[in-house]
Amino acid sequence: MEKLPLGLALDLRKVVPYKTGSWRTLMPVNIMQTPPCTYSCPSGNDIRGFLRVLAEKQDYEEAWHVLTRTNPLPATCGRVCPHPCEEGCNRRDFDTPLAINSAERAVGDYGLEHNLKHKKFISKRKEKVAVVGSGPAGLSCAFHLAKRGFQVKIFEANSEPGGWMRYGIPSYRLPNYILKQEIDKILELGIELECNVKVGVNIPMDQLTRDYNAVFLGLGAQTGTSIKIPGEDAQNVFTGVDFLKRINSGQIVDLGKDVVVIGGGNTAMDCARVAKRLGANVSVFYRRTRVEMPAITAEIDEAMEERIMFRYHTNPVKIITDENRVVGLLCGQMELREPDASGRARPVPIEGSESVYPADTVIMATGQAVDYDGFEIQKRDDQWISTNEDLMTSMDGVFAGGDAVLGLETVTTAIGQGMRAASAIEDYIEGNMESRLAQPPVIYSKDLNTYYYTQEKRFSKEAVSIHTRLKNFREIYPSFNREDIIKEAGRCFSCGLCYNCGNCYMYCPDNAVKISPSTGKYEFDLDFCKGCGLCAKECPCHYIQMSLEK
Amino acid sequence: MNAKTEELDRVEKKDLFGSGHRACGGCGQALAARLVHDAAGENTIACVATGCLEVFSSPYPDPCWRIPFLHSLFENPAAVASGVEAAYKALKKGPVNIIAQAGDGSTADIGFQCISGMFERGHNVLYVCYDNEAYMNTGVQRSSFTPYGAWTSTTPMGNPTRKKNLPLIAADHGIPYVATATVDDFRDLQRKVKTALSIEGPKYIHILVPCPLGWGHPGELTVKICRLAKDTGLFPIFEIIDGKVTNVKKIPVKVPVEEYLKLQGRFRFLFKKGVPTEEVAEIQKIANQNIERFNL
Amino acid sequence: MLKQIEGSQAVADVVALCRPNVIAAYPITPQTHIVEDLALIVGQGKLDAEFVNVESEFSAASVVLGASAAGARTYTATSSQGLLLMAEVIYCIAGMRLPIVLTCANRAISAPLSIWNDQQDSMAVRDAGWIQLFAEDNQEAADLHIQAYKIAERTFLPVMVCMDGFILTHAFEPVDIPEQKEVDDFLPPFKPRHIVDPRWPRGIGLYADPRFYMETRYILHRAMEKSEKTIKEVSADFAKTFGRDSGGFIKTYKLKEADVAIVSMGSVVGTIKDLIDKLEEEGKKVGLLQICSYRPFPRQEIYNVLKDKMNIVVLEKCISLGRGGILASDIRWSFPRAEKKDRNISSFIAGLGGRNITVDDLRYMVEKVEKEPVELEFLGLKKELIADKDL
Repeated sequence: MEKLPLGLALDLRKVVPYKTGSWRTLMPVNIMQTPPCTYSCPSGNDIRGFLRVLAEKQDYEEAWHVLTRTNPLPATCGRVCPHPCEEGCNRRDFDTPLAINSAERAVGDYGLEHNLKHKKFISKRKEKVAVVGSGPAGLSCAFHLAKRGFQVKIFEANSEPGGWMRYGIPSYRLPNYILKQEIDKILELGIELECNVKVGVNIPMDQLTRDYNAVFLGLGAQTGTSIKIPGEDAQNVFTGVDFLKRINSGQIVDLGKDVVVIGGGNTAMDCARVAKRLGANVSVFYRRTRVEMPAITAEIDEAMEERIMFRYHTNPVKIITDENRVVGLLCGQMELREPDASGRARPVPIEGSESVYPADTVIMATGQAVDYDGFEIQKRDDQWISTNEDLMTSMDGVFAGGDAVLGLETVTTAIGQGMRAASAIEDYIEGNMESRLAQPPVIYSKDLNTYYYTQEKRFSKEAVSIHTRLKNFREIYPSFNREDIIKEAGRCFSCGLCYNCGNCYMYCPDNAVKISPSTGKYEFDLDFCKGCGLCAKECPCHYIQMSLEK
Repeated sequence: MNAKTEELDRVEKKDLFGSGHRACGGCGQALAARLVHDAAGENTIACVATGCLEVFSSPYPDPCWRIPFLHSLFENPAAVASGVEAAYKALKKGPVNIIAQAGDGSTADIGFQCISGMFERGHNVLYVCYDNEAYMNTGVQRSSFTPYGAWTSTTPMGNPTRKKNLPLIAADHGIPYVATATVDDFRDLQRKVKTALSIEGPKYIHILVPCPLGWGHPGELTVKICRLAKDTGLFPIFEIIDGKVTNVKKIPVKVPVEEYLKLQGRFRFLFKKGVPTEEVAEIQKIANQNIERFNL
Repeated sequence: MLKQIEGSQAVADVVALCRPNVIAAYPITPQTHIVEDLALIVGQGKLDAEFVNVESEFSAASVVLGASAAGARTYTATSSQGLLLMAEVIYCIAGMRLPIVLTCANRAISAPLSIWNDQQDSMAVRDAGWIQLFAEDNQEAADLHIQAYKIAERTFLPVMVCMDGFILTHAFEPVDIPEQKEVDDFLPPFKPRHIVDPRWPRGIGLYADPRFYMETRYILHRAMEKSEKTIKEVSADFAKTFGRDSGGFIKTYKLKEADVAIVSMGSVVGTIKDLIDKLEEEGKKVGLLQICSYRPFPRQEIYNVLKDKMNIVVLEKCISLGRGGILASDIRWSFPRAEKKDRNISSFIAGLGGRNITVDDLRYMVEKVEKEPVELEFLGLKKELIADKDL
């Protein structure tokens, strides 16, 4: 014990602070949580990550690298994804959700403009993997495998890669050159691509299983199914798939004056809008109502804007032909009853309600199926490839993902599946089917402290006028202003991850939040923390939570 | 702030009122003291009154202060600070920031004489009053800053008098700078401390500091309660520069006083089974008067 | 330089010569003239100091506390009510070991209100830890201030110079005011040992919990005891430098041969000396023990000079109500218990509230104790004013 100084006047530089950390019963912990945007994303993209990079560092290049860690097709997704992330965005409960999709497109476009390159993790492994199909699932699987060092070869049946993105989605939604550049970037990782080879027909499946350590099937669902009505053999009767493939391959199709598109899905919308751009009067016939249409809302809205007529409760019964050419469509009206197996209201024909509608072309965009030509493989519901939870099919070492497995989903879903499959393939090759890491819990808006935010206007994208749109197949949304996107990214709440707002640092009465000299992040000085909980309460993103003292 | 990283001047946090003090967890006064001294910097002498601040921060042998501090008695920090200032002037030392600080009891009641004298004589001292609305250190007794209706151990039926308005009294002494602040807006508080220290003459800053123990709320709500005190109009934030009220912080969305009162145990007698009594209406009247008077 | 000036003026002049940096002033009769005179000295530029006109004695003491803690040499003056008002700070200053010099112009304490002299006020704070020095006359009052600064700044104990109000403060006497250079040579600049300064951060005024408080009190007590040496040294130095005896621990006057020893302090010793001279002519041997330093109490010294005296009478201008004479108790305590001698120690209370103490009063006192010891008596009490029931 030191001797008492004169007048008890203490030299403060000699003081050993009293460690009040021993008082607490609760202690603050940093818990990273999954934001609902990532949770809603079928690819599990680190949306918070790339938005924060844009907001804090205004660095598009780094944002691109963050995003392409999981998603190799950002410019594509930024155009065609229905953005479930925005549905999940917590900011939706405060003012408006973040325009994540627009941000993704801006980042993707930047990557293309500045010729950014994907990064590999590990350089060369000796194992080889075959990927069948160069749609989003196949490309994503190849991408993730190549990054891990595997030697990958993609076998594509069509003459150009891209799958449904290339031959299904029209170019006003996804310009061809954008897609091509993104695919080339993926291939630059050292992935081999052979086109015009249909596995099962040109090469048997067992050759692949023999020559490669594993196989991924990204077959897609690129065969159109018809509704089997009389007259469908006539000229100018197409399935939706067939029609789009022709257009996207550059073929010219004489549509005549009136085009009727049957169906309510994305393909139907694409067909309708393509037909409109080709100068026809387009109507969409659907046997239920808009509410039951499975197409993306934005697609339906844009189609309506483009003056495409929608007839609901209308079900085609027979195609009326004259000399094997379509002249009309006989349809009956439906009424909706209780839900059927698909969960949607069951349409029931109304007696005597049939009438003829003039048509020069009928496009049946009523369903799609997998082309199993040459494949012997176990199916689910007699339609889709059946897989276990690790995406392996009934054939050992053969994995599958995308539309072929899930049914008609989105590009993003396929990308996510491809990523999961790549991880599963790696595990399979290495021989350890380890269990997946538990995902951190999701944080919802009720746990956020939004006091520190003010309401801000959301970024809005403006489409060119309808008149301009219909003249050509160019994109209807022009490039976004990079500054506006950065501003929009600044609205991100960074749910569940610290973004250095400094609240905990400033609000601690005990000065127990310090800046780590090594990482520059905030950390708790547990020698002095009394567990009052102010930091946790004032943390806007709920990164800090109080837990019982160990 | 809107999810962007604000320009945090990191030199502001120097651990001058450091860790290791014995305040309750979530103490508003500790937070305020920390913020004030971080804004004032190392070239500061603190003259402290007896009270919670002194008792939890300066026990022998481990005070938490890293700047020199002088504590003598309960009611005289203003006079002691005057003496320090006079000495520095006479010895031609300095310049140095001299901050006299005390709680509400020490400022408005027993120390009223000293603070009035210091203001009147014009010493170059900043006086900071940490207003936790009662004599907290001795166990929550009523002071002249205790608001209407609050429970304290000496007004167990609810305080019958209104809060004294010391910022206006201070301004009427003719001092160049008076400000009120709360601990939730730390940027504002630090800016006010810095502004004050840049002005010659006596300055007064009145900080509302919630006391989890005395006010009856969990320590984590300290910041939230300050916000509500502001947003209900019960604690107006303003500056008085050379006698003119300026920089009044307007309330964006006015909150009814119940929101503020029901979070605190010291107002629980104002609610009978969740229904507010007529005292609450009285308190709402006070809030409305403040709103009108300062144009919040 | 010899000047015919008022006691207050002498004190003010001498304090100015000591070059205090901060002076706190609050008026209270009878010290007011001191601070007024200092105000003029500072105002005329003869002294470069901060003169702080505070709003109460409490603030006066607080201001000098703060100033001293910041490293300045300080001064203030007060009396009775003011001293009691600042009592809190008085204790605080001692506990903080700040070398402050304060003049107490002794005055009676209210109620009833009285502005006239007695020593109850400084007695009220005798336990605070201040060195208390009592001046006999204006010259000593002046001289003690110079010594006080030296003592205080050496021992780091505050010093209270007590001079009887009105009797000394308002009396005009010839006083030798030293030259500035003489004072500068005698009193070097103040070198503080603990100050508040951001360059060397110190905490002053920490609180001590039961683990430490007792030791601080012990240290203070021992410091006071050891200050005896300094008080004597400084007094001796002063005598050498300025050529006159002043201050010190105790003084005696014709005590060696005395049969009756009178013990007292303050200005009344002047009157006592007159009596002693008169009685000497009449053949009576009476002596005086003058207490100069009341705190620290010169117990050993008192015992040394009084141990052969069998008839001691203590005359004081204060009382501990409900107990008796304060100085008398102290004197009685100065003799070890083991000593069983037939010593008479009589206690007389005189001069309360400014009541004049004449030579005749004192003669009466001496004659009384020559006959029999007096437990406690109020000298010159006017019994005719007292109702029977209050007697």
